[in-house]
Amino acid sequence: MWLPSWPIQRLRRSGAVSPASPAATVATAGGARRLQALCPQAAAAGLWPGQTLAEARALCPALAICPADPEADGAALGRLAHWCERFTPLAAADPPEGLWLDITGCAELFGGEAGLAGTLAALLSRDGLSCQVAVAGTAGAAWALARAGKTAGTNLPSGQEAEALAALPVALLRLDARSVSGLRALGVRRIGELARLERAALTARFGAGPRLRLDQALGNAAEAIAWPHPPAPWAERLAFAEPIGTEADLSRVLALLAKRLGERLAAARLGGVAFTATFFRVDDARPTLGIGAALPLAEPERIAALLRLRLEGLDPGFGVEAVLLEATATAPLAQPQLGLPGIVPSDPALPERALAAVVDELANRLGTARLWRPAPRASHVPERAVRHLPPLAPSPPWSGAAGERPLRLLARPEPIEATAPLPDQPPLQFRWRGGLHRVRAASGPERIAAEWWQPSAAAAGRPEADLLRDYYRVEDSEGNRFWVFRAGLDPATARWFLHGLFP
Amino acid sequence: MFIPAILPGRRPLPEALLHLLQATRPGFAPHGTLRFGDPRVAACLPEGGLTRGGLHAIGAPATDAGSGTAAAGFAACLLAGFSSPQPVFWITPWPDLHAAGLPGWGFDPGRLLFVHTDDDTATLAAMEIVLRGGAAAAALGEVGALPELPARRLQLACRRHGVTGFVLQRPSRWHVPPRQEAAAVATRWEVAPAPSAAEHREPGPARWRVRLQLARGGHEGAWIMEAAAQDAAFPLRVVAELADPAAAPERRRLAG
Repeated sequence: MWLPSWPIQRLRRSGAVSPASPAATVATAGGARRLQALCPQAAAAGLWPGQTLAEARALCPALAICPADPEADGAALGRLAHWCERFTPLAAADPPEGLWLDITGCAELFGGEAGLAGTLAALLSRDGLSCQVAVAGTAGAAWALARAGKTAGTNLPSGQEAEALAALPVALLRLDARSVSGLRALGVRRIGELARLERAALTARFGAGPRLRLDQALGNAAEAIAWPHPPAPWAERLAFAEPIGTEADLSRVLALLAKRLGERLAAARLGGVAFTATFFRVDDARPTLGIGAALPLAEPERIAALLRLRLEGLDPGFGVEAVLLEATATAPLAQPQLGLPGIVPSDPALPERALAAVVDELANRLGTARLWRPAPRASHVPERAVRHLPPLAPSPPWSGAAGERPLRLLARPEPIEATAPLPDQPPLQFRWRGGLHRVRAASGPERIAAEWWQPSAAAAGRPEADLLRDYYRVEDSEGNRFWVFRAGLDPATARWFLHGLFP
Repeated sequence: MFIPAILPGRRPLPEALLHLLQATRPGFAPHGTLRFGDPRVAACLPEGGLTRGGLHAIGAPATDAGSGTAAAGFAACLLAGFSSPQPVFWITPWPDLHAAGLPGWGFDPGRLLFVHTDDDTATLAAMEIVLRGGAAAAALGEVGALPELPARRLQLACRRHGVTGFVLQRPSRWHVPPRQEAAAVATRWEVAPAPSAAEHREPGPARWRVRLQLARGGHEGAWIMEAAAQDAAFPLRVVAELADPAAAPERRRLAG
């Protein structure tokens, strides 16, 4: 599908450019501002892409201009491709001005290929988008016909690519400008003429490009298109005659889909690590539920139970027409070895599976980042000493040689008013969170220097983080034990902070 | 009624007998107990130790300046006694537990699985999931308050699956503790810091004023305990028994 001068169409739709006046986008290239995309009115006024802006202004004073924004154009094209997934699951953007739709097997639902193309063009033109649609057996032929066709809805039966393309210019084979001008210098202007050239000579003169594009257009070479949503082979779909909406119904449907999918997965000795349930609502919204599993999962009951946890937050709207359950990521399923009582001990992985079930339930309730195993990091700075490992990682080794550390570490050290008799002595008393603590005993100091090779925390409003810290373990008259430090060496500017609590 | 002594390693008891024992003997411990290694504490606890497969609440006095850190240290010492390869879950809405501080209390942080929740309700729900899963050695949840109904559910889950649960009640300056504490727990403790034996102005091993407020099938007690040395057989050492005046008049009352 071709959307001629897509950047202008996008700007017109967003209201940035009025539909009446001729419009163009402008980019700075080679020190001059030049036109990039033109609307048909501007082209009719004699403007051409690559013209300098000054020249274009002289030719057409009414020209409305906008700065070129290829990123926004590409994003809008991606959104349009997503919208086109109503016709086929395989829809992809083809920047700068086109879309690919693989309608193999989908056309029957829309009254044949011509009906689908007509519906698509009609829906887009209703929204003010002009487009040219061509249907062909190969991607290259469809591309060329969409851009060559004067009317929307060219439909080419498979096997007739060579005749249909023979009269079209070679530029429609998606060749680069150098090849096109080189071919024109040889007198080759039509695709039919290109096809008659000797293969070896063509490749020697222009590289593999032109011949490959020709083969792709004629169906002699394969072409891969990067679909944004490749179909998952592990999917189960259930559609209903009447829309359903109650939680009990949806939960039953999920259980049924999980049973079908789980049985297929188990038969293939695979387990899903990520599942997505998509609910097709009658008002075209498509809420999804996603769950993850720590170990590959194929048991229908557990898939359904994890999905049911999320079902509470789902808004069924006016009803759900169809539900699709996909295993978006799979991994080989480890078969547990059951023990024979008294002869063979049970597989040691069995308790691990029970743990994985607990971890899955918690992670899907709270979020994956909320579960972690603490592991030591080689750093003396207390707030950097612990890193997070995933919950099913093997137990990290802790040596415990890093000196005595508090059991509770405050997220950021809290400033305290401390009275210290000498610069290198622990405080005699201090005030923290409104309470006065008289120090009865203290040990230290333990001097910890900032890690200068780490990004500075001073920028985040914590000047004490970059200073040399002298830590003291102090006990007050009640028996409370605290971890306090003095930041900085200069007695005039040194400040005291409380960083942690000992039991 | 004659009740046979339950020794670890024997054949499991029939289900009906288990129910009978649970109904008639409040401190019955089919999953064994966690010993303190001191006869003065053992005398107060049923079966002479902390029931495995039971729910234990550990609180701190509302006046505690360290917001329950002493109670957390006491809990860490108890968790160190679970020497199984299965992980220990620490479920809390407060992300201030410092794993590097745990080895000092005999507990290997490599066995710890940390769960960060949003509030008390989520913490108690996550605890129930862990206890029901049966894949953990123990589960500890930090809450502001433990209402009666969740306590009962957790105690049932503990007993059925043989996993020990600890609820750490964290005092808050804004939270007024309810008049009636949850009674569905196996034991309830209150831990406050106590001055250590400081020599030459150096802090000694941590000391806590530990009060056993409630023990099903046992009776109340109060001691000053000290964290024992790393290589000791038991993580806690009783320094002195407190003649707690509040507990004295109803000393022999059975809190069943």
